[in-house]
Amino acid sequence: MTSLALSGGTRKSRFWPRVRIAAGLLACVIFLFPVFWMVLSSFKAQRDIFTVPPTLFFTPTLQHYFEYMQRADISRRMINTIIVAAGSGIISIVAGGMAGYALARIRLRGAGTIGVLILLSRGVPPIALAVPMFLVARSLGVTDQHITLILAYCTFLIPYVMWLMRGFFLALPKELEESAMIDGCSRMGAFFKIIVPISMPGILSTLIFSMILAWEELLFALVLTNRYASTIPVAIAGIAGDTVNGANWGALTAVGTFTVLPVVVFALLVQKWLIQGLADGATKG
Amino acid sequence: MATNTMTAGEVRRARSPVRSKLMDAASRWAFMAPAAIILAAMLAYPIIYTVEISFARFDLMTFSAVEFVGWENYAHVFDDYRFWSSMRVTLIYLAFALPIQIVLGFGIAYLINAPWRGRGAVRALFIIPMVVAPVVAGGIWRMILDPLWGIMNWVAGLFGVDGLDWFGDPTLAMASIIIIDTWRWTPFVILIATAALLALPRDIFEAAEIDGANWWSMLWSITLPLLVPIIAATFVVRWLGAVKMFDIALAATYGGPGGATNVINLFIYEEAFRSLRFAESAAMAVIVLVLTMVLTGIFLIGTRKLEDRY
Repeated sequence: MTSLALSGGTRKSRFWPRVRIAAGLLACVIFLFPVFWMVLSSFKAQRDIFTVPPTLFFTPTLQHYFEYMQRADISRRMINTIIVAAGSGIISIVAGGMAGYALARIRLRGAGTIGVLILLSRGVPPIALAVPMFLVARSLGVTDQHITLILAYCTFLIPYVMWLMRGFFLALPKELEESAMIDGCSRMGAFFKIIVPISMPGILSTLIFSMILAWEELLFALVLTNRYASTIPVAIAGIAGDTVNGANWGALTAVGTFTVLPVVVFALLVQKWLIQGLADGATKG
Repeated sequence: MATNTMTAGEVRRARSPVRSKLMDAASRWAFMAPAAIILAAMLAYPIIYTVEISFARFDLMTFSAVEFVGWENYAHVFDDYRFWSSMRVTLIYLAFALPIQIVLGFGIAYLINAPWRGRGAVRALFIIPMVVAPVVAGGIWRMILDPLWGIMNWVAGLFGVDGLDWFGDPTLAMASIIIIDTWRWTPFVILIATAALLALPRDIFEAAEIDGANWWSMLWSITLPLLVPIIAATFVVRWLGAVKMFDIALAATYGGPGGATNVINLFIYEEAFRSLRFAESAAMAVIVLVLTMVLTGIFLIGTRKLEDRY
């Protein structure tokens, strides 16, 4: 190889990766911009929101945060959302985790069928469940209660948790529970004493991800609650769709920021496992 | 069983094989029971109930299905032009959003996968749009795309494009729904795609490079074929999410203008809970359910076929 070809090669190998990185960074900036804009706008006074051209520099204010916290029942909705997300997350991780373990490790007749059913259940449009759930909840007098929403969220969380945890348990060495069962543990005992403790990272990440999904859910919350147990997404839908009072962007961005912030923190905490889980969920499905 | 330190339970189990078999089965199924019970009550039963309502006349006084009317509700639905237009809208949304998200997702994943120090951080940052609640996403984009005060039209103005009425024009409204959905979901594809790209076997590429293959032919004849199974799987997962799309349309356009973005889930929701036409909505829900199941089945079989081929 001549020195000319060599130098050409190195220049090329330096130039293209740089373009590639720059383009990737640009994409990242574009994708983050709406979130940045939301957070920024939430600190703007009304006159700074409605400007052309849009302002980047302004005197920040917490006005929208205070105003909206007082005016609407936002703190109660926040508590409701936390209760529902935690409740459905915990029920789903227990029920779904056990079932995922059964699919991964215990020979059950018909386990294959169950697996296919779970996969199919992910295709069920929630609207097909929302109508009968509303009617049944109404006749039982349990609309607008946390437990109704919690159980409704289990319909999409349990299959999801089952699938993720199944993959997780499949990767564990078999000897673990075998030795525990030789030592006299029952199946259930071996699961809770041996498997659960060593799977804690996976379990916690799955729990956090389930809680995020419950945190964001809108349709069931709209249908099954109205005042007492209503959640934050319902409030946001109300503000966004409020065309009578015009665009209340201050409130929208403040509540939006408030909703997104904790989720982003949690998601970044478990990001490594979250990415792994996503990849597994898509490929081993 | 040569030990003489057996407990009473073990002796009993050893004595009655039928009983021990039953106990064993029970201890196996105990793991499945909680999930099975909840899903039967909250998933299977509602579906059956939906099917029942869809074949019945729904009485709003007693709020229950009163008499069997056969296919009448389905006939009403098929006669309703709004149903067909909503199906068309949903189809357009899916036909644009899914391919755009897959191509963008794998493209950006390729870009950010360049070996450099900040790779992990950039990948982590892409998680942020993914965990913004869809209803919040719809809301913020409503602000960004606002015809008068939105930053998008200001930027478009810099390029000499003025007065884009994002939510007033039917085509632009659909475009904005697709943009919002793409913004929210492409990061999901990016994360799956980066994991897939990292898992590609290095040695094949090195061998190809030594053989003098150029960038394009490596992409076309090595990378893409290796990625086909995962692209197909990502498509199925995204499809399962996209057919349920509801929140973004509700927050951003509420189906407007004139039903131009009224995706089927929003339409059924409106018919059921605003117009209280439960029987027709149940019929529509069943139609959507069956269509989704059939298409999902076809996609899954297609994915398997692709996996076998590559």
